[in-house]
Amino acid sequence: MKAVGARLPRYDGVGHVTGRTTYVDDVRVGRTLWVKALRSPHHHAAITRLDTSKAETVKGVHAIVTHADVPKNVYGHLEALGVPADEPLLADGEVRYKGQPIAAVAAESEQAALEAVAAIEIEYEERPALVDIRKALDPAAPQIHQWGNVYPHYGPYNHRRVRKGDVEAAFERADAIVEGVYRPQAIEQMPMETQVALAVPEASGRLTIYSCTQAMYFSMGVVAAHLQVPLNKLKFVGGTVGGGFGGKVDTAADTVCALLALKSRRPVKWRWTREEEFLASSTRAPWHIEIADAVTSDGWILGRRMLTLHDSGAYSRFSPYGVTKHAFHHSGAYTIPNLHFDGFVVYTNRVPTTAMRGFGVTSVSFAVETHMSRVADVLGLDPWEVRLKNANRIGDTSGNGVTLKDPSTVPVTLAAAERVGVELGAEFRQMTAEPRTGALLPEHLVAQQNLNLEED
Amino acid sequence: MNLTVNGIERDISSPPLTPLLHVLRDELDITSPKAGCQQGGCGTCTVLVDGEPRRSCLTAVATVDGASITTLEGLGEPERLSPVQTAFHERYAAQCGFCTPGMIIAATALIERKGGPVEREEVVDALRGHLCRCTGYVKIVDAVLAASRGDIGQVDDLPTSDEGEPDVLVKGSPA
Repeated sequence: MKAVGARLPRYDGVGHVTGRTTYVDDVRVGRTLWVKALRSPHHHAAITRLDTSKAETVKGVHAIVTHADVPKNVYGHLEALGVPADEPLLADGEVRYKGQPIAAVAAESEQAALEAVAAIEIEYEERPALVDIRKALDPAAPQIHQWGNVYPHYGPYNHRRVRKGDVEAAFERADAIVEGVYRPQAIEQMPMETQVALAVPEASGRLTIYSCTQAMYFSMGVVAAHLQVPLNKLKFVGGTVGGGFGGKVDTAADTVCALLALKSRRPVKWRWTREEEFLASSTRAPWHIEIADAVTSDGWILGRRMLTLHDSGAYSRFSPYGVTKHAFHHSGAYTIPNLHFDGFVVYTNRVPTTAMRGFGVTSVSFAVETHMSRVADVLGLDPWEVRLKNANRIGDTSGNGVTLKDPSTVPVTLAAAERVGVELGAEFRQMTAEPRTGALLPEHLVAQQNLNLEED
Repeated sequence: MNLTVNGIERDISSPPLTPLLHVLRDELDITSPKAGCQQGGCGTCTVLVDGEPRRSCLTAVATVDGASITTLEGLGEPERLSPVQTAFHERYAAQCGFCTPGMIIAATALIERKGGPVEREEVVDALRGHLCRCTGYVKIVDAVLAASRGDIGQVDDLPTSDEGEPDVLVKGSPA
């Protein structure tokens, strides 16, 4: 444990401060071609014509790829977990978000690649777009997927659900019902390094791919699946990432570079512009979160009903997983014995959404913590004390049925109160994470606690 | 055209309107100035042109013909860091490192101009328009202040907490 608490130099620190660190865009390989993509100018449209023949004659162009060049065009990030694939690498017959890639060009210069993209002949038939998740379930809303507008694959359900205790009874017993709607919005991760990849065909028949991915083996699997090649045909070089924040978990540029490198037999590099990064790279999801809490006048939360709509954008990617994490955290760091949660992954004609710093969790924490303060406000109680009263304790059960062995809500809340100079009553200052007793073990919390302690 | 880059005179064959950033990166293989936005908005392409910090992505090479250019590679070697480089390294002012080239160039220009210790407001002003998405700027500003005071090479082993601050360990934690 020599490193814990010690001030150690960063192993990559000298490289960073002297400009010697080699990011993907800094890798120099002779005869590298530049990639540019044709992206959809529409949020939702049928592609009625796509012809690259004129573009192929542009001076300096070495290869153009469309969906027809991809061995396995439709792939899903969660296929290995049984989630069916739904996203084409390059659009085939229709586009579902503005900025969706349709074709990509490798040429001697960025300028030549741009000229070729402009020379691709394409025609669209625009369709009505859906951008508001609150309207997605409306029968009159534009339909985005063969599955409809809701991801349907949570076992027998079309949503992630949590059921615990008797919510009806809790709401009947309550002194008050406190409701709130929370809508955290999309955020672009905006790393300083935009999406970038360099693919180099080797004499051995392998492809070397310099990647800015945050998830090396995941990206390797994605490229191998699209190309339908064994993993040993790919050599990935990465680990030096100019910021990611979740935005480089999805595989953005690697696969298209691999295809163009194989087709042109030249090294190819695709460096997204800042505009592409904002327009077409994935963002943190927007959410629509409705909470209703059944509360007593002395600050106990007897039950919670919650509905969440998660804006997945045009494709699933990791959203089903994000909503599952969201579901696990919907009671926050508090013990609520009666829960009814429904979480939907909703498709819209927006850019697909993905991980960002606490995928699924930060959004629900924002809603839950704002709501805890609202509960206190409605009841005229201290928000710190409402939190401490309902805080998870050893032996309590979480929403998804886990018996808590080391919950830190009480000590962390007390430490935070001390740091910001909040004066709490003695009964709250003396709280610990130890199992509930006395006044902190009211009737409504007994059943859930005993049930789980017996299992130990 | 020609440029003196990090003390070495180089002939330039790129077209005259090529951004200096691309001349440095793609003609001369000097890669510390980064293509962060190529719109003058992020600051990571910043280099010194005759001692003044400039956005190389917005600078046509013809407009600086004959100038002396300094990039991050020209400020120090891994074995011989400049004071600003040392301060950034010791004080963890670089996280992913992608904005670091522009930050160090701009900070170096500020300290050269002042010739001694600088104020926090001056650092904030000099780094305006240099975006960092990782560190939150606190460590960056602290590193520049330390470098300007010559306060390098003597960082304490452990950060010390202020008098009266609660323990790092929280009371009653079951951990």
